[in-house]
Amino acid sequence: MAERPEDLNLPNAVITRIIKEALPDGVNVSKEARRAISQAASVFVLYATSCANNFALKAKRKTLNAGDVLAAMEEMEFERFLEPLREALEVYKKDQKGKKEVSEQKRKDKEKKNDSENDKSREDEEEEEQRMEEPEEEADEEEVEN
Amino acid sequence: MAATVETSLPAEIDSARCGTEEEENRGLEMEEKSQQQTGSTGPTVPHSRLSKLPLARIKALMKTDPDVSLASQESVFIIAKATELFVEMIAKDALVYAQQGKRKTLQRKDLDNAIEAIDEFAFLEGTLD
Repeated sequence: MAERPEDLNLPNAVITRIIKEALPDGVNVSKEARRAISQAASVFVLYATSCANNFALKAKRKTLNAGDVLAAMEEMEFERFLEPLREALEVYKKDQKGKKEVSEQKRKDKEKKNDSENDKSREDEEEEEQRMEEPEEEADEEEVEN
Repeated sequence: MAATVETSLPAEIDSARCGTEEEENRGLEMEEKSQQQTGSTGPTVPHSRLSKLPLARIKALMKTDPDVSLASQESVFIIAKATELFVEMIAKDALVYAQQGKRKTLQRKDLDNAIEAIDEFAFLEGTLD
């Protein structure tokens, strides 16, 4: 079931909340304006994705990474986003790292009971996606850390 | 959700957009602080809470581009976050036009005006219904 861009919208409730938090109290937003902003947000995702993808392709990578997106933001003239995005990324990375450690610990505990060979092959599969990211990200690390 | 933080913005809207940058940063910081407090006991904070927009939906949108093969989790997250910032930005910029028209309700035409006037929104021209 292929999803077309037109079918995929961002949740109205979330868009509305973001708008309300950005605007001062007492300001209302018409339904049409809200719908337009939601549509604009979807277009933004597509445009940013396409732009970021160009950077990935230029670097001969098949996986889009965070650095590509940051480069896209600059290209799209949204430099003002770079700082908050980098900060958010740091928090996100730490959070992901914490989760990974927990799941690895759980797996180690399981290993004591199960056959260690079976678990190892499972571990490799799950970490493949992560591993794929790491070497690519190193190349762009300079950008992200700045 | 207790994580919703109502950042009180100054009553005066700076028509020069440079002023909004600080507010945006403050908004983000406060959001993260409250999340760290609620989820501090461990990895019980779902990563999607760092982003208000659902990452699965963002990823699905990204994948409609035939040229995109794979996207790292981080890239999906960054795009989600950037989209959030974009929504904040366009709402604030449109508000300026509503205020010029002495209105307290943001209307579609305010969006259209902002898109026409602001360079960064040029990519939106002709894309909205």
